[in-house]
Amino acid sequence: MQNLLTLLQTTIDGILIGGVYAVISIGLSLVFGVMHIVNFAHAEFLMIGMFIAWFAWFYAGIDPMLGAFIALAVTFLIGMVMQRTLIKPILHAPQVSQIFLTVGLLFALENGALLLFGADYRSVSTSYQTEALTLLSTEAGRLFVPLDKLYAFLMALLSGGALWYFLSRTRWGRAMRATAQDPMAARLMGIDTDRMYMIAFGLGVGTTAFGGAVILPYITASPTVGSQFVVLMFTAVVLGGLGSVAGAVVGGIMVGLIQSFSALFLPIQLMNLTLFVIFILVLAFRPEGLVARRRA
Amino acid sequence: MTTQRSLFALACAGVIVMALLPLGLDPRGYEIRILCITLLFASLGQAWNIVGGLANQISLGHAAYFGIGAYTSTILLKLFALSPWLGGMIGMALAVAFALLLSLPTARLKGHYYALATLAAGEAMRVIANSWADVTGGPVGISVPYLPDGSLWMMQFPTVLPNYYLFLAALVVVCLIFWKIKTGALGYRLRAIKENEQAAEVIGVDTYRAKLIAACVSAAITAFLGTLYAQFQFFFDPDTIFGVATISVKMALIAILGGVGRLSGPLVGAAFIIPMEEIANSYFGSSAAGLSQFAYGAILVLVILLNPHGLTALFGQISARFTRKGATRDRSIA
Repeated sequence: MQNLLTLLQTTIDGILIGGVYAVISIGLSLVFGVMHIVNFAHAEFLMIGMFIAWFAWFYAGIDPMLGAFIALAVTFLIGMVMQRTLIKPILHAPQVSQIFLTVGLLFALENGALLLFGADYRSVSTSYQTEALTLLSTEAGRLFVPLDKLYAFLMALLSGGALWYFLSRTRWGRAMRATAQDPMAARLMGIDTDRMYMIAFGLGVGTTAFGGAVILPYITASPTVGSQFVVLMFTAVVLGGLGSVAGAVVGGIMVGLIQSFSALFLPIQLMNLTLFVIFILVLAFRPEGLVARRRA
Repeated sequence: MTTQRSLFALACAGVIVMALLPLGLDPRGYEIRILCITLLFASLGQAWNIVGGLANQISLGHAAYFGIGAYTSTILLKLFALSPWLGGMIGMALAVAFALLLSLPTARLKGHYYALATLAAGEAMRVIANSWADVTGGPVGISVPYLPDGSLWMMQFPTVLPNYYLFLAALVVVCLIFWKIKTGALGYRLRAIKENEQAAEVIGVDTYRAKLIAACVSAAITAFLGTLYAQFQFFFDPDTIFGVATISVKMALIAILGGVGRLSGPLVGAAFIIPMEEIANSYFGSSAAGLSQFAYGAILVLVILLNPHGLTALFGQISARFTRKGATRDRSIA
């Protein structure tokens, strides 16, 4: 009975955190799907999102779940500007240039934040942080859902759904998918592909910042927080197939489950090691992804 | 032939100047330490250049080999009082084994995918070193046991001057290896891979083998440099020795800044980056932690934006030889 409870609890934890990973990774996958750029700096936007939500909470008392929308809006604009000034010149450059531009951006953003905000860890306190929803209570133990993780998961679901709606049901979303499939043909059909690239990058970093903001109640913000998520985020994206938004969702939840289950067997510091190994193996043997093959 | 001869003369003159340079400096001083680190990173950049410059396989995980070398010799010295020369050799063997383990499945990957795989490999080593505290000392780091009566055999000296000459010798050796590879058959194969891998396959180049050999040579050199670094620094921790920013990307940046794939590239890159970093650190001290890394990032972005279609040296003329014109992008997987 107790084993079963542990198993169920681990599954719940994995799915809850995995849902957030999914949203964080969707942005990365969107950027790759639309402009074929692997953005190594992507996790830094998670950090930026966390900081925006923290400042909104600290100075205006805005709950991170609402601050997430501010984070989304601000990083969306930052992303649009960045796409125009930094990413556009390397869109058709060799991959070496693309890799090093985004790696350079990673260091500039991470250490820029360090210079601006210092190395302090910043956390928020909310009313629901320590509460949990008890699903089942027996003598052997109880099954529960921590509220902060549940809210983050629901917010992730909401933003993922909104992004899906945008991409599949709206005119602009269709234009973006057309740009992803064939930029030349899209241009011939009258789509302003340059604008689509800007919006895609803005949305990509915006969704990731949104994901960063909603996890603020249970993960402390610091300038280096992004580095904890880099490999995790790429694993989710590669598991689902680089460039596939639906795949990123499946990949994100898989990563959450892998993490929570490996925590059962391995010491906590080694939790991510399983991920690294799986990541390298997937890259080596199935770089097109384990799940979906549909794009953006 | 004359250009080769003049190049050789230039290299000899450079070595002589570098050999005489520290004689005017305080052998326990700060300046000579900066020179040591500069030489070390020039060698590291050159080792990266074998894989990243010649074959265009962008590795973001060379810190893995560097750390393996540093940890192996230090642990063996600590436990068995083994000479770092031998420990370094064992470290080289382990690094080659790790390079094979990593490259056998991933050497076929290109561009982004290879960069991602190597990045994860370096990070995996960092996680292992952090959590395997019984052997590595864990996150607090590890100290090289200090032997008061230092000797060449134990690679410990009363002043830094012998370290300096060790680093200089290492740089000369690494440059010779690089030159040998570049002008030899392997170099032509690697460059064929860089220009057009399919075409190289068609004319009968075993591209997989060539990349594997290059990765192993590069790993072995990097590991031994890790041992040299450990014996010079006497203390290191997992986050610095396996760091993405502190080692992996710095190596690549140094090779790229001075002109990727060129013999002179890492020399110029290290001579620019390392003193700049040290000066920035001594000027701003701990009040501006992250300033030098911020500068790295900004410089990288700037170098790419100046000429996105061919990584060219920040200094010196733009050389068309290293521009990948009409490079085909790998879209087959997307």
